[in-house]
Amino acid sequence: MTLAEDELYKHSDSVNEQLARYGVKFGIYKNGVFHEQLFPFDVIPRVIEHDEFAYLERGLKQRVKALNEFITDIYSDKKIIKDGVIAEEFVYSGSGWLIQCDGVKPPKGIYAHISGIDLVQGKDGSWYVLEDNLRIPSGASYPMTARYICRNSFPAVFERYHIENNRNYAELLSNTMEYVNTGGRSVILTPGRYNAAYFEHSYFAEQTEAPLVAGNDLIVENEHLFFIDYSGKKERVGTVYRRISDEYLDPVNFNRESLIGVPHIFDIYKKGNVALVNAPGNGVADDKGIYYFVPAMVKYYLGEEPILQNAPTYLPFYEKDMKYVLENFDRLVIKDVAEAGGYGVVFASKLTGEKKSEFIAMLKAEPRRFIAQEVIDFLDIDIYEDGKPVPRKADLRAFVLMAEEPIVWKSGLTRFSRRVDSFIVNSSQGGGFKDTWVMAE
Amino acid sequence: MSRLHYSYHMQLSFESPVKEHYFKLRCFPSSDERQKISGEHIKIFPAHFSNSERDSFGNMCIYGTALQTHSRFSVDVSGTAEINALFNVKADTNRIPVFKYETKLTTAGANIRAFHRTFPPLSYMTFYERAVFMMERLFEEFYYMPGKTGVFTTAEEAFSLGCGVCQDYAQILLTLCRIDRIPCRYVTGMIPGEGATHAWTEIYSPESSEWIAIDPTHNRKCDGTYIKISSGRDSQDCAINQGVFTGGGRQSQEIKVIVAEAF
Repeated sequence: MTLAEDELYKHSDSVNEQLARYGVKFGIYKNGVFHEQLFPFDVIPRVIEHDEFAYLERGLKQRVKALNEFITDIYSDKKIIKDGVIAEEFVYSGSGWLIQCDGVKPPKGIYAHISGIDLVQGKDGSWYVLEDNLRIPSGASYPMTARYICRNSFPAVFERYHIENNRNYAELLSNTMEYVNTGGRSVILTPGRYNAAYFEHSYFAEQTEAPLVAGNDLIVENEHLFFIDYSGKKERVGTVYRRISDEYLDPVNFNRESLIGVPHIFDIYKKGNVALVNAPGNGVADDKGIYYFVPAMVKYYLGEEPILQNAPTYLPFYEKDMKYVLENFDRLVIKDVAEAGGYGVVFASKLTGEKKSEFIAMLKAEPRRFIAQEVIDFLDIDIYEDGKPVPRKADLRAFVLMAEEPIVWKSGLTRFSRRVDSFIVNSSQGGGFKDTWVMAE
Repeated sequence: MSRLHYSYHMQLSFESPVKEHYFKLRCFPSSDERQKISGEHIKIFPAHFSNSERDSFGNMCIYGTALQTHSRFSVDVSGTAEINALFNVKADTNRIPVFKYETKLTTAGANIRAFHRTFPPLSYMTFYERAVFMMERLFEEFYYMPGKTGVFTTAEEAFSLGCGVCQDYAQILLTLCRIDRIPCRYVTGMIPGEGATHAWTEIYSPESSEWIAIDPTHNRKCDGTYIKISSGRDSQDCAINQGVFTGGGRQSQEIKVIVAEAF
């Protein structure tokens, strides 16, 4: 398919200008100072053909189902550990495991309501999952806004191609919130405007018509949660789509220093009186160490062959893998399991001399802390820069929303690296984004 | 078998009045295989709403809210405990592995590791025997001295100081056990006399699927005078009070525990 490139290029500046005016920004902290940055948009969309997306869709649904089964099991019977499929060290000494959630059943048994699965496509065309983001994955608001502006800027292009409409994300999100609702309103809980994704929080609130609330707008009284609006009116709340991490969610149950949380929200959640989206403790499944075991989980819980593959990964924790990692050190990428956002990623080939031996010593001393992966040569996709298309590395964050069944949003956030030869696409590292077109036929 | 009467009193005093006070208390002994609680009386003041729940360790918690302005907040718990020291608490084997791994407060640093290296290897000993051996060694190495350590002092920090209180003894022993991957837990409770709460440890015995209680501060097995309040991986899990409020300035806390033989 050839795109109407010229027509797209022509609008590059004006679309970016409108995105800026809409406030499509994200915040980052550098040396303790908060900056808000525009999220650079590239007009050339990533196009995924209908059949190819159908394949991804099947694989993503399967993967999220298995992850949800895993979290359910880990906080109840722990069969997968007893059966020796997953080493218990990766569960109990990982940062995602929350003891407070042990034995707790979330409404409708859903732990992973909104998942952001990061994929890359290799040069041979095959897709690999790089990461499962289950805690508070963000990013859907960016392609939603960009699509809206692009449709207005060059409507003819959208008439010519049959592209899946991605404006239904708000509806999917509302359904997910309503499905688990325990009675009352659904609200979106934000840590405030100094959060990296504040734009997204306010945008979702606007699109789903759920009130955007801060911790002090919510109060627990007599085992139920209430929202107090600006006029003092009190209304029962049945679902909180919380964009606050587990640690800060409730100062009497987690970090007592938290000023942005809601005291006792976790106590009533345990009793089934409010749904928390996503469920606390679900980070146990998005640990980089646990990632290694996801294909095994698919087989274990669903009795199916995994449709999507992981990037080839090694756990130095296992002797056999450690041997492989040391022998092939120079061509691997090593990731610190505790880090996120593109931090703690080391391309071993870039290490030399002392740095290298220091790193290997650390790897040997704390094998549980790292995973090693083969470097996947991603397929380059074009971005428009200085008046012409140039190839850059890109990934795809696909969103899966769980209600009665998992549903894959027919779009996604395509992030790209703006630097030649860089594999790091994270927005916190200066990357940009594209719209993702899923073809309808 | 012994019969003990206990009373626990805790009062928070605020320099200037506070409001919107949310609390979660974990200071209520429950019945188990070893102890039977009767005649329990609980008073929390002020409290507009309060409810109870069991946390993930099975500890009884009361949480609630004191909305209106107050300068003092107090909790009084009393009752009778019948303790049969011949019995140990049964373990939920599904939950055992959690207690094998270090927590923030029980992470071994260089000093505890070096101390642990002076011990012979684990072989030919049960978990319980090994823990008792380490308790004895710790008792020779560490001194009881109040005021040097605080609620958030880690095992490694306390061990490096060389002295501390019951919380430190217990957490250092847990850290040592966890180096050997022996499942063990922290216990908060009360012992006869007048004073504060006490802390000790429980060691998992795979032979009987039970928790065996030992007290590293006194270097002994816990007898029928130990009333258990709560258990967890470390002192944080057993926090007696976790609360937040608006206002207040400085606050002071007064705790008084009285345990005496009941006739």
